[in-house]
Amino acid sequence: MKNLIFKKNIERRFFFLSALKGISFGVLSWRLFDLQVIENKKYDKLSKENQFNFSLVVPERGQIYDRKGRVLAANRDAFSLYIKSSKNLNLSEILKKLSSITTLNEEDINNFQIRYKNLKKNNINVFITDNLSKRDISKIAVRLHEFPKVNFLMTKKRVYPQGAITSHLIGYTGKLTENDLKRNKNLINFSNLRIGKYGIEKFFDNQLRGEFGRRREEVNARGKIITSNLYENPNPGKNLNLSIDLNIQSYALSRLQNINTKKREYVEPETGSVVVMDVNTGELICCVSSPNFNPNIFTRGINPKEWKSLVNNKKAPLLNRAVSGLYPPGSTIKMAVALAALESGVIGYDNKFFCNGVKEYGDMKFHCWHKYGHGNINLSQAIERSCDVFFYELGLKVGIDKIGLMLNKLGLSANINLELSEFQKGLVPSKKWKLDNRGTRWTPGETINASIGQGYMLSNPIELCTMTARIANSEMSVEPTLLKNKTKKFLKLDINKGHLNYVKNAMSNVVNNELGTAFKSKLNSQSIKMAGKTGTVQVVRISEEEREKGIIKNKDREWKKRDHALFVGYAPLEKPKYSICVIVEHGGSGSVTAAPIAKDIIEKLLI
Amino acid sequence: MFTSNKFYKPDSILKNFFKLDWILLFVVLVICIIGVGALYSAGDGSLKPWALNHIYKVIFGFFIVFILSQFKINFIMNFSVILYIFCILCLIYVTHFGVGDVKRWIDLKYFFFQPSELAKIAIILLLAKFFTYFPNNSKNILYNLIAISLVLIPGFLIINQPDLGTGSMLILLGFAIIFLNGLSWNVILSITLVSLISIPVIWQNLLEYQKYRILVFLNPELDTLGKGYQIMQSKIAIGSGGMFGKGYLAGSQSRLDFLPEKHTDFVYTLISEEMGFIGSMSLLILYFVIIIVLMREFLKEEDFTNKIIIFGISFLIFLYVIFNIGMVSGLIPVVGAPLPFISNGGTSLITIFIGLGIIQSIRVSRNV
Repeated sequence: MKNLIFKKNIERRFFFLSALKGISFGVLSWRLFDLQVIENKKYDKLSKENQFNFSLVVPERGQIYDRKGRVLAANRDAFSLYIKSSKNLNLSEILKKLSSITTLNEEDINNFQIRYKNLKKNNINVFITDNLSKRDISKIAVRLHEFPKVNFLMTKKRVYPQGAITSHLIGYTGKLTENDLKRNKNLINFSNLRIGKYGIEKFFDNQLRGEFGRRREEVNARGKIITSNLYENPNPGKNLNLSIDLNIQSYALSRLQNINTKKREYVEPETGSVVVMDVNTGELICCVSSPNFNPNIFTRGINPKEWKSLVNNKKAPLLNRAVSGLYPPGSTIKMAVALAALESGVIGYDNKFFCNGVKEYGDMKFHCWHKYGHGNINLSQAIERSCDVFFYELGLKVGIDKIGLMLNKLGLSANINLELSEFQKGLVPSKKWKLDNRGTRWTPGETINASIGQGYMLSNPIELCTMTARIANSEMSVEPTLLKNKTKKFLKLDINKGHLNYVKNAMSNVVNNELGTAFKSKLNSQSIKMAGKTGTVQVVRISEEEREKGIIKNKDREWKKRDHALFVGYAPLEKPKYSICVIVEHGGSGSVTAAPIAKDIIEKLLI
Repeated sequence: MFTSNKFYKPDSILKNFFKLDWILLFVVLVICIIGVGALYSAGDGSLKPWALNHIYKVIFGFFIVFILSQFKINFIMNFSVILYIFCILCLIYVTHFGVGDVKRWIDLKYFFFQPSELAKIAIILLLAKFFTYFPNNSKNILYNLIAISLVLIPGFLIINQPDLGTGSMLILLGFAIIFLNGLSWNVILSITLVSLISIPVIWQNLLEYQKYRILVFLNPELDTLGKGYQIMQSKIAIGSGGMFGKGYLAGSQSRLDFLPEKHTDFVYTLISEEMGFIGSMSLLILYFVIIIVLMREFLKEEDFTNKIIIFGISFLIFLYVIFNIGMVSGLIPVVGAPLPFISNGGTSLITIFIGLGIIQSIRVSRNV
């Protein structure tokens, strides 16, 4: 009996322990289910992180060509220096040794150390620099056995074969900065990435950059790479075909920089710009700004001294004068004033004014450039000889707002979408503008100034070239573009054809008539003729006293105080093809300095 | 003390052969084959260095089972005390002359002998003998204290090696048998209470580094480079296996050596990674089948001594499985416990086969 109770007892305990076994197996099963089924994704990700190291592959940046397929921006092979991250690496020692045999940039080293600190994994190549000269590379290569963790990778480097010729236009690329990342959320923070910082490189950065690829390396627990392959191919950036003609571009630049070619001594390059545009398509054939710079120094890594000399240069070589240089347009807008007058009907083709050299309004005197006056002349003659007094009278009759509207219609201070972010719109004042911005009412004296393109009025060379192109085209409101074969429909130019032809005829007389201001720049051709308009813009106001003493000749004035020389024009007369705008800062008179440059370039283009 | 004149069974060997538990042995064989497959994978798709070696050991293991099944259980029990004393002596020996950095093994020229494994069999047999000789005294405290010290002596010797896993497994095994025999609930409750109260007092008196060691033991993830790393990688491997696994020979964690000791303690991780939840669960069920078969054996058995032995051995197998899978899946701390029939360990594999052999001996000795 006792034995039986005992037996029962041991079996009760046995079942208790068996239940414990069952529960334990249940717990294990649940644990496996939890790890393998419920949390599978998490562990799968961790396993892949163990298994693979992914690295980004930089896409090749798109190339830039001129309209005839000549290379303006390309990539060439270069070497980048990397350090492979690992535990217990004496980083400062390696960097010290490296910089003792090469010229490592301090900024590069600092950036590298930040990058290295933020690493979470070992055995990853950390980028140091791609700014090594061939000498540096061979120096390191020879002693590579001393740096077991240092290695090179092939990368691409941006080159601009045309150098300074296309400097402002193409721009340059630079290292990705914090600001770039803040501005553009689509950018990937990648140490070796360069993005467009200026010019076309900046404006078309998204297209040129392409899309990153990924390289996948399978690594074991000790960090040894087992396999390595391209996981996603990089998408190279798109190539760009610009409307620029490299020949004309370089010719215009040389013409602008060596104005006095006959003199043997060194002549400081003129500051100014030349813009040539196709009047039918709006394609810009040349877009030159002087002085310029060599964009390749930005690829190589500009040193602080070079940068300072560029920034502190009084002639501002980094400024693209063709698109962001704002000048008073001067007499070059007289066609627009004439058109405004003709369109509003305040003047006929043959109405005449008398110019005696000065216009008195109230107690103010407004002088014509011709001291003794042009006499009794009509509108066409006034344009031809650039009579100021005639336009003073005309401006007063038309009024500033109508002049402003016509200027807008012709592209000044209008919405021009040029493919350069440096583009700066000019200013065409109006009564409202004056009240809003200066807080005072518009005065008739200001209208007088504005009608010869002085005073508040400002415009850039692109705008002036567009204005000329629209007059020459007479049908469409052409818009400038830097891309070749960009098919865009232009709006109709809503100006009376007769009036346009009248003004165009007057512009032809400027160049081709003996009394015209640019007669000396008549083309050397019987069949092809150019039309145009000169402009000479006062930079400093000439006082009455100075005028009585006799105006000091331009040459004798301080450079900064000399007049700007302007010329706008188009050619040929019949079926116009090109419009041109030349501005030489402080170059003296438009007819002497600017018009001959335009003549040479047009001749190069057409003859 | 021979209770029978014949220490072997004179009936024809062939007849005994049919008396073996073929279901049990078949399941064991299946698990062993899975083990060979897993070790082939652990060797990067090669029979060397582990898979072939494992085949030999398994064959040797089955040989032991057949040999032991030929002896009468009473004959085997004659050696229980001697075996126990032998194990204690060996354990003392290894602490002074053992090989390996943790001094667990005795170098026997052809293989390394690990006395702590054999001690598990010894404690089962000894306790069975002890409770048979002094039956039905389970309420007596002194009686239980003797039994407990019989367990604790080898237990602490092993923990002192230090081999916490094997030591605590042996102590748990011994306590389970004492509990089965009828240790009164009052004693159990008071022991639990005393240890719970003493924990904070002991903790207060520990040095900083000792506290840290215990903390790492309880939560290995504190030690990110050592055991924490191992267990994290093991969890990643198991979890990344998913439902169907990464495929045989295609486990990235083990192939790329992120998995430590994939041929011994972490072999279950490798199987889980390559075969997924389906594979790991199937293997777990196979082990469960063994436990169930042995439970049936327990219930069929009439003799008290044999009941204790069968329970002890089945509980030993259970502990191995729970310790190992619990460890690799991060449920319990890393203590070092092999997976029965699969891990490429020497003594532990043979120990379990000896256990199975003893059970077969009981079965064959039974007069059905």
